[in-house]
Amino acid sequence: MRYRAPEAAALISTDLAPFTALFDRRSGITHILASPAPEILAALTEPMTIDMLLAVLAREYDLADPDPAALAVRLDELVASGLVATT
Amino acid sequence: MSDHDQPDPDQPDAAAISDGGNAVPTRRRLLQLGAIGAGAVVSIRPALAQTAGSVMNCEIPVPDMGHAGGFIADDGSIVAAGTKGAYAPPGRPFKGEEVKRAMAGNQLPGTSYESNRAYMNYIRRLQRGQGGFTCFASLQMPRG
Repeated sequence: MRYRAPEAAALISTDLAPFTALFDRRSGITHILASPAPEILAALTEPMTIDMLLAVLAREYDLADPDPAALAVRLDELVASGLVATT
Repeated sequence: MSDHDQPDPDQPDAAAISDGGNAVPTRRRLLQLGAIGAGAVVSIRPALAQTAGSVMNCEIPVPDMGHAGGFIADDGSIVAAGTKGAYAPPGRPFKGEEVKRAMAGNQLPGTSYESNRAYMNYIRRLQRGQGGFTCFASLQMPRG
């Protein structure tokens, strides 16, 4: 199963440090994201499996807990919000 | 006798050693995947979103009550009753569930290919303030 982020044109993003606000034009819903959700979305530059995504994140960040199960929970939240699709 | 006070040039710079004894300096930002608190995503739905139960039962009249009796042209606009090439209104409002299925590629009940297309174009052009707009808008939100 691969995870897919929306195309950039579908989202309006605002920095509300330490959060990120994301308006999804497709649903009209505003999401408030805390780390690592914005980083995960940014890393999904193309459809990826969990393992591929974990490898990308591990390259870009110093992962405190490089655990696919933890990443899966974060991805489930993003899928539930409608921000990430599965294919 | 070696001088222990001076740094040994053969050893990596102490500042570059991480906990695992790795000599490569790490400048990447720390990221934690596990949840700190209730999760990483909070969604604020607009006030017009309906609950999952009622979405399927909400209704979309074609056309809305203010234009009752008007015919629907191919492009979804409302035209005078009896206009050639336009479609008579369906006998009843469509349910949210029916429109949702039509959006997924099925046909509205009781319609032909052409009248389905005309009604769906009408529905897609609904604006705030028109009957059925709230119902239609809520069909497009994830998880109702």
